[in-house]
Amino acid sequence: MSAHNNHVENSTWMHAVMMAGIFAVIGIIAFAALGIGVANQKHDVYDDAKHDYHDAKEDPLTTSEELDDLYHKEEKAHLSFLTYRVAGITILVMCSIYAIFLGIGGLVNALQPDDDHGGDDHGHDDHEEHHGSASPIIFSLGVMLFLMGFPSFVVACKALMSQGGTFVFSDILVSLIGLNFIMLGVANWWKEDLPFIGHGEQIATSAPFEGEHIRKAGLWVFIMSEIMVFATFFSSYLRVRTEWCTDWAIRSSEEGDSCYGVAEGSVTTASDLLRYDVATLMPGAINTFALIVSSYTIVLALKTAKDKNWEAPTNFMRFVLPDKKRAIRNYLIATLALGSLFIVLKLVEWSHLVAEGFDIGSPQGSIFYVATGAHGLHVFVGLLVMLYLIFKSDTVGFDEDNGQGIEYFGLYWHFVDLAWVVIFPAFYLY
Amino acid sequence: MGEHVASGIEKWLLDKTGKDIYFWNFIVLMFFTLFEVGAVFFEKIPGTEIEITRLMVWGVLIGVGIIKGYGIAAYFMHLRGDPRIYTRTALFPVLFVLLMLWGIGLSNPEAVTELPAWCTPDWDYATR
Repeated sequence: MSAHNNHVENSTWMHAVMMAGIFAVIGIIAFAALGIGVANQKHDVYDDAKHDYHDAKEDPLTTSEELDDLYHKEEKAHLSFLTYRVAGITILVMCSIYAIFLGIGGLVNALQPDDDHGGDDHGHDDHEEHHGSASPIIFSLGVMLFLMGFPSFVVACKALMSQGGTFVFSDILVSLIGLNFIMLGVANWWKEDLPFIGHGEQIATSAPFEGEHIRKAGLWVFIMSEIMVFATFFSSYLRVRTEWCTDWAIRSSEEGDSCYGVAEGSVTTASDLLRYDVATLMPGAINTFALIVSSYTIVLALKTAKDKNWEAPTNFMRFVLPDKKRAIRNYLIATLALGSLFIVLKLVEWSHLVAEGFDIGSPQGSIFYVATGAHGLHVFVGLLVMLYLIFKSDTVGFDEDNGQGIEYFGLYWHFVDLAWVVIFPAFYLY
Repeated sequence: MGEHVASGIEKWLLDKTGKDIYFWNFIVLMFFTLFEVGAVFFEKIPGTEIEITRLMVWGVLIGVGIIKGYGIAAYFMHLRGDPRIYTRTALFPVLFVLLMLWGIGLSNPEAVTELPAWCTPDWDYATR
């Protein structure tokens, strides 16, 4: 065991497997309650509304106002059904991925000999040369293989969901091997990081980051590249958006403008469908607040970890934050819950937009789904990392010496929030 | 590293209210989010007959975006207080972002199909 590392027993790794079980149970219960229980009731209401509308359509005595009213009732019932069905399925899928991620990561490490833990390669001695980690290259290889096989993977998944085509196992093989490498890289990274209890953090020895933590500098360079990724989406959107004659552009145009005199309704953007009604704007608005609150909760987790003199609150919050270790863990759980809420609401909102005919087939849909989908993917990847932080906070724990783990992840999470600060007004409000 | 040492207005806020800069930053972010949603949702400024024009919405969205972006980067990401090299790293891509926004986003509405031939070597449709 290194001087700066904690020894991690195999039983600690089994804790991750236990957490995986909890997520599996949460997913199944949420799916049963929302995706089946409530959604089936809503489906009955939708069926009734659909029949009422079709009966009225065939009845010559029905006025056009009554028909309009019944049509809107049917549409509302359909969207209500979609809300619960999609929310249930999303929670189930997310919790299943959480469970697989934690379960495999924990199990792979728990199956290794007990003496093998204690990580002598991460929290090295200050005088010891750093030997690096194999995890990033294993992980990258996995991502590469997964993406190489992704097109056939999608075809196979469609066949599995009975949406056409025949399922052939070889279609998913390359992606499956990639996923295995990803899990191996993640499990190896956990093995290296979990015993790390601070000190011995690698320091850059040359300019421009001389004297700074290498992990932090690396993360900022990564964020720099992420800024470029989101800038490409944004500039593409700006490029096409300035050319579209949306209803808003038409109404505010004057003689001589390119959109002057163009018939309204020729171009519909996502914001045209979302911003005029509280109900449609609500998921996006709640998501914005959820990300801001989650940014605050992760800051509180870091602040608590770094506080040498932390004391439990004396008001009702003492039940949620009874001691330092559980306070950090609970702040991280709150962040995970808010991030998960973001994904659920995003997919509910997407399902509504698709139901209303706004799909990826149009230029407006394409840029909207690609940009907001890329952002959602970043949130989801952040949630997977957060699972590990929760696991670490519940076992080895964070304190003023190793709290930088939360700080560095927090930088990524705040960046995701920052990206949303640009995406939300551009795609939802404007 | 990473912890925010209170000074100036941050210290003043902490002394006066007992709440740190993270809390106040959070409140400011929440308020401005509500403000930008309201600016778009209402057609007129509530309580007045003043119509909210497209230009006003542009102004509000960009202004609020800058304030929120600063709040997150400076306080939550600790750029204010951390060594300058991190701010420089964060701002480095801005040059390219501006080039993209101007070069792709706001100029040349015909996009790649109308670019001059020297911009698009070997593209058949570029020289049509």
